Amino acid sequence: MIYLDWASTSPPDRAILLEAAELAAACYGNPSSTHRLGTEARAKLEEARSRLALCLHATKEAARGCIVFTSGGSEANAIALLATLRKRSHARAAPLHIVASAIEHAAIHEQLRLLAGLGVETSFVRPGANGLVTPEAVAAAIRKETALVTVMAVNNETGAIQPLGDIVRAVACAARELGRATPPRVHADAVQAFGKIPFDPLKLGLSSAAFSAHKLRGPRGTGAMWLAATLEPFVVGGGQEGGIRPGTENLAGAWAFSNVAEQAVTSLASELQHARELEARLIAGMEAIPGAIVLPFGRKAGDTRYSPYILSASFPGLAGEVLARALSDEGIAVSTGSACASNAHAKERRVLAAMGVPPELSFGAIRISTGTLTLPADVDRFLETAARVYTRLKP
Amino acid sequence: MDTLYLVKLGEIILKLGNRKEFEDRLKADLKRRLGGALKRLELSHGRIALEVELERAAFVEAALARTPGINGFARAIRTEKQPEAVLAAALDIARAEVAQGKRAFKAESRRADKSFPLDSYGLSSEIGHLVLENCPGTRVDLHAPQFTIHAEIRDKAYVYASPIQGIRGLPTGSQGRGLLLLSGGIDSPVAGYLMARRGLALDAVYFHAYPYTSAEAQEKVIALARVLAGYTGGLSLYTIPFTATQMRIKQKAREESTTLMMRAAMMELAERLAFKIGANSLVTGESLGQVASQTAENLRFTNSRVKLPVFRPLVGLDKEETIELARKIGSYNISVLPYEDCCVLFSPKHPILRADMTRESGAYEELELGPLLDEALKGAERKAIPFSVPGF
Repeated sequence: MIYLDWASTSPPDRAILLEAAELAAACYGNPSSTHRLGTEARAKLEEARSRLALCLHATKEAARGCIVFTSGGSEANAIALLATLRKRSHARAAPLHIVASAIEHAAIHEQLRLLAGLGVETSFVRPGANGLVTPEAVAAAIRKETALVTVMAVNNETGAIQPLGDIVRAVACAARELGRATPPRVHADAVQAFGKIPFDPLKLGLSSAAFSAHKLRGPRGTGAMWLAATLEPFVVGGGQEGGIRPGTENLAGAWAFSNVAEQAVTSLASELQHARELEARLIAGMEAIPGAIVLPFGRKAGDTRYSPYILSASFPGLAGEVLARALSDEGIAVSTGSACASNAHAKERRVLAAMGVPPELSFGAIRISTGTLTLPADVDRFLETAARVYTRLKP
Repeated sequence: MDTLYLVKLGEIILKLGNRKEFEDRLKADLKRRLGGALKRLELSHGRIALEVELERAAFVEAALARTPGINGFARAIRTEKQPEAVLAAALDIARAEVAQGKRAFKAESRRADKSFPLDSYGLSSEIGHLVLENCPGTRVDLHAPQFTIHAEIRDKAYVYASPIQGIRGLPTGSQGRGLLLLSGGIDSPVAGYLMARRGLALDAVYFHAYPYTSAEAQEKVIALARVLAGYTGGLSLYTIPFTATQMRIKQKAREESTTLMMRAAMMELAERLAFKIGANSLVTGESLGQVASQTAENLRFTNSRVKLPVFRPLVGLDKEETIELARKIGSYNISVLPYEDCCVLFSPKHPILRADMTRESGAYEELELGPLLDEALKGAERKAIPFSVPGF
């Protein structure tokens, strides 16, 4: 199978998985236990934590803030969103407001819809046709009672890299103009950014960020959250992970995560170059297929506003789902938008629709995402097959 | 250990000359469905007494509740035709009901054997007295009883309470075999159920347009066929590859008539398959005016491609009624799964509402589907869906 669905998940690194399994079997003490087995496990866990922290920042001195291990990106996002509810318990009647981009992953979008049902006001900021959310648009949505702003670092369908540093500054500025003493927290779902493109939450001025291990060839069920300062969690329990993520710690997962993260960050520059080459090949090839359209319109190879790992393209007249199925039969794995949304009932393509892509085009869209193991020949095979299948199946 | 069920037959008892044929069909059908759970089956005077394995009573009840030709059934006690024995059984039955918290009751008796010393009225009042004396808190309520104790004096005496409703209708196969056009939607499984109830043995045909329709859509149809199999006593599901035909229609037909042409081609294929498998009729889930292809004019056109009778039991139902039936038979939750059975790509924005027979017949001929339909039929795959009931 030619695997071009890395944004959904990545083929795990076998050696790292096995090492983690060994560790899970050998170092089985509960990190909260005070006996030797417990303290050994605790030491390993903290080692994993500081190694992961170093992956986020250039120097050891800058490795401030804290890392909390979670069950994945979704949970890390949920912790940030749900923490806003704690403000409610303090002042029942006070209105609560969250600003989010309209193109967030379902882990955020659906959680926000749920919170909206509980009376939390939400503003969704639409991106431009280029898939980018502007700092001005986010700032304009800030209110006195805005508790949280959440904008993803890299969009999982278009690869658009959101200008988070500028957004953080614009939010602070808007808050000052409203006479607020402190700006709202700014959270970023960085699942498609961390380990793929340079990403330093401290430098960006974020309050928190969410990561996932399996996008970086790590195991499922492991994620992490970076926090500039601690927060009051909505889900509580045994006080693990600084009280922010209760539950006995997944040492093996944390260990594997720190390993894959180190690997990804060490080779980030060369991998990014590799991805840029594949992107150029993909975009050039796509432009050569009659009828096919790269999304967002006018995205060119080498445009640093987009992650080169992710590319959306539309094959008008043929449902993306049908093309993906036919490609699968030819031994090529791609997906239609987010894998998490393609299971759902939703027929509309939320992210593309928010960008103003007309339904005829979003209907025919597929997402191609590459990774470290992707070869130029894989891209060529994909292009040749997609062109052939499109001609054959387009009615 | 075995337990006994008394089964009340449906319309069969109204049949005159060929009643035995209907009864024999039902007996054979019950034997097939109940398999090893059935120990003994006796039919007399419009009742079937079934002795079944006690451990499999729940399965037997689920199976009986889905078998066409059965009005109702109840777990019963069979005794000798002596008043003492009947009364003792009635008290046992009453105690079981009272244990479930029921209090208000009545007794109903039928005496087919007039040599029994008590008449129906006498037996009912004896039962009533006995229960009132022995089960504290009970009271007689003739109008709104919480349970009814039935005593029937026939070849033997049968006593039971809380009969379970059957689906009525006629025994499977008594009306021959029909072929159901089964899609993944809400309507066609309900149509199949309704015609199975009318005594049709059913097979089903599904038109698969891979890759335009997904493997999941096909799995969904198989799941629906499994639900239906509980009522039909098992069925064969035929999958006909439809992609080439669909593509030809999309390429050559006028856009507004694509759905109509597709329906006509499906009817034609279904009929050819029906002849092959010995089915005497087609069954569809169409309902008058529900969608564009189901107006009288359009039904006339699609119908004109076939000679077999086409049964459309939903023709006069509205969607709400169909959905209610779909929930009842257990197909609804499967039908509403998101996998599309007919790709939006092929549905025109403004379909024809009233087909002109001459024009559309000509247009259909011009598509020259003949060889494609031959190929499609050759590619039909049969999957046996054995009888089963959910949970067993």
